[in-house]
Amino acid sequence: MHIFKLLKTFLQVNIQMSLAYRADTVVNMLLNLMWLGWELLSLSIIFANTNTLGGWGPGELITLLGVFRMVNTLMSAFIWPNTEKFNASVRDGSFDYNLLMPVDSMFLVTFSRITVWRAWEMLLAIGLLVSGISISRDLISLPGFLGFLLLVISGMLIIYSLWIVLIALTFWFTKFDNNVTILQALMDAGRYPISVYPVWLRIIVTFIIPIGVATTIPVQALRGELAGPQVLLFAGVGVIGFWLASRVWRAGVKRYSGASS
Amino acid sequence: MLKIYQRLWQVNWAEYWQYRANMLMYLLYWLISPIVYLAVWTSIANAKGSVNGLTANDFIAYYMTLLVVDQLTSNIIIHIFAYKVQDGSLSSELIRPAHPMLTNTFMNNLASKALNLLVFIPVWGVLWLLYQPDFSAVTALNLLIAALAMLLGFLVSFLLSAAITSLAFWTTRVYSVHEFYFAISLLFSGQFVPLQLMPQFIQTAAQFLPFQLFLYFPIQIILGKLSTAQIAQGFLSGVIWLAVAWLLFRWVWREGVKRYSAVGA
Amino acid sequence: MSDDVIQVESLSKTYKVSEREAGFGAAMRSFFRRKFKDVEAVKRVSFNIQPGEIVGFLGPNGAGKTTTLKMLSGLLNPTEGRAHVLGFTPWELKPAYLRSMTLVMGQRNRLSWDIPAADSFLLNQAIYRIPDDEYKTTLKELDDLLELGPLLKKPVRNLSLGERMKCEIAAGLLHRPKVLFLDEPTIGLDITGQARIREFLREYNHRTGATILLTSHYMADVTALCERIIIIHHGQLKYDGGLANLSRRIAPFKLIGVLLAEPAAYSLAHYGTPVENEEDADKHYIQVPAGDVAGITARMLAELPIHDITIADPPIETVIERAFNE
Repeated sequence: MHIFKLLKTFLQVNIQMSLAYRADTVVNMLLNLMWLGWELLSLSIIFANTNTLGGWGPGELITLLGVFRMVNTLMSAFIWPNTEKFNASVRDGSFDYNLLMPVDSMFLVTFSRITVWRAWEMLLAIGLLVSGISISRDLISLPGFLGFLLLVISGMLIIYSLWIVLIALTFWFTKFDNNVTILQALMDAGRYPISVYPVWLRIIVTFIIPIGVATTIPVQALRGELAGPQVLLFAGVGVIGFWLASRVWRAGVKRYSGASS
Repeated sequence: MLKIYQRLWQVNWAEYWQYRANMLMYLLYWLISPIVYLAVWTSIANAKGSVNGLTANDFIAYYMTLLVVDQLTSNIIIHIFAYKVQDGSLSSELIRPAHPMLTNTFMNNLASKALNLLVFIPVWGVLWLLYQPDFSAVTALNLLIAALAMLLGFLVSFLLSAAITSLAFWTTRVYSVHEFYFAISLLFSGQFVPLQLMPQFIQTAAQFLPFQLFLYFPIQIILGKLSTAQIAQGFLSGVIWLAVAWLLFRWVWREGVKRYSAVGA
Repeated sequence: MSDDVIQVESLSKTYKVSEREAGFGAAMRSFFRRKFKDVEAVKRVSFNIQPGEIVGFLGPNGAGKTTTLKMLSGLLNPTEGRAHVLGFTPWELKPAYLRSMTLVMGQRNRLSWDIPAADSFLLNQAIYRIPDDEYKTTLKELDDLLELGPLLKKPVRNLSLGERMKCEIAAGLLHRPKVLFLDEPTIGLDITGQARIREFLREYNHRTGATILLTSHYMADVTALCERIIIIHHGQLKYDGGLANLSRRIAPFKLIGVLLAEPAAYSLAHYGTPVENEEDADKHYIQVPAGDVAGITARMLAELPIHDITIADPPIETVIERAFNE
């Protein structure tokens, strides 16, 4: 498939780039490890003072942290670097070249930058997931696990779609260059189950910036708190969100071709 | 000398005023994590009645105070200074007869703080209505002492950040160094949790480190949790750290500038 | 004619520009009720270009050159009119069309700063689905013509402007486009750099038979490359024809520049029409009919305390503007 060949080339080019900054890569990987330690320490402090947080035990919170880290990997490996590139290219006009390439512009804008070393963070995240799940395995059934996997993917799709919409807004509001700040700022709310948050914050992280949908809901499915139809509903939201986002993107590109000078 | 500060204030304020819409967005960064920790700890306190003697109301008062203190004592030196070393634009500031860090960068911080506060105060008011914190233990005297403590905390924090940011003279990876410093300060300043809930060894270490001056110490003064002896001890440690931070900054700065002019930029 | 590569028929583009006065009150008002002004960037422009032609597309700043190029490459939708390039309607952005043309803009970078151009080229190979053997021969050919050699291995940010432009052009030609739209391809380059690019374009056109439509600020680009030029001004087509023909129409002007000992004491107005020249503020310039240059120069040398004197063709922008404003 052509798409895979393209992805392979993108990956190669980005590996080249990170090789140009080898020492930074190592330092960043160490920092990543440090933050993981920080997060585990904070969990241990929480559980030194209580047995459950919002009804969840340590195993589930570690699993949640794993899901959060996966979403964070999506952000830091693709979304943040490509946002930076996209905003710069709209500012200096080189985005024009993107439109003139015989490849879908949304694909280009998603994959032209890949922070390759973040694969390391993905490994750490999977490590967290595995240990979290094995700590609380008594709670878990196979359907719960399958629902969990489905919702992790759909959650990332939802966040990705939101991102596409946010950056597409740049086509209408040209000076909107801190388009993703709101997404960045609310990321922190993904580390804990949204059931502990006050109602207004819960509404924000569920409906406006659905970081809670991407992190808490999959773990709820894992715990068997969601019925089958609910799981499918959330998975459906992911698909519909993605469809809507690509429509918005296309409308934005059309607007760009209609109005730019 | 005062004239310099006054002019620099005008320039920096005007510059930030241009970006006031962005500032509103960036304020979210400052708000979200304390609110998340607040939610986590009140939820635990509500479930158990209290955590180590702290009730949900105590946590609310703690984090609501933290939001204010954080606004006042923190700084953004790393974001406004490090790149000047890297792209060479510091050169023009170095040849002016005013210390780049202690005049321009200092006033830049104050201007950003002032504009931040302008946005922050109404937001904090809304949070106040939402959470109804219990501030009955706050007295005018506490606030006065806390103001001094915050000034001390701000100065120590400023000088330490300035020293770390000055590492930009040697390495482009100064941002990573700062990130490490930031993580440590999150832990020991009381940002994540009131220090008395930390494991004993962290509490002990925190007493000898400067970070609690940034948040925990002023917060506890405001909330009237400290005895006179504890306050005196805190100020003593603060003054010592101020001297250490000053000497450290002076030394790093001098060596850095020497290197900068030797290597050229 | 059906064998034309580019057919443009009464192409128009009107921008809606929101008007806003300064100040907070105005900002609030315009938030609720935007006032728009129509700006006609291109007005019913028509022309045809045959395969293998190199056409210079000229006009003063803001004349609508870039807008037209953007419509022809497909970046912009026109408000009215039709255009066919290689049988495609550009703004439908069909992949087959995008693979057979290129747009190179002198002031925009397509190459990534942090990596060597060679790596960006590989990316383009994948994007344009260029088969390996074809890619190799094309790259070899471009390398020969542009003398890319070691440049390809260096990170782009370490290249000089001229070196970068060579790489940019090569990147735009890897997929062997049949039609080239070049917007100011030599801008900012020194004289040798400009000449090198020019030579390359001529040779490339000669070898591949590609059709080239280019805009440039430099008269030398146009005289060296283009037998035919199209001029637009205020969005309207003003001239379409041979370069020689145009020179005859406009040639009567020359620019005389003088450096005077006491500039304030003399008026140059009775020798010719004084002209502003921002690039060289010390000198004073006048415009005179070409036939009178010798006489006027002699008179000036005799009557004025002149340190330095130059005689030159007026810059292309001025020529066009004057020619069509009269």
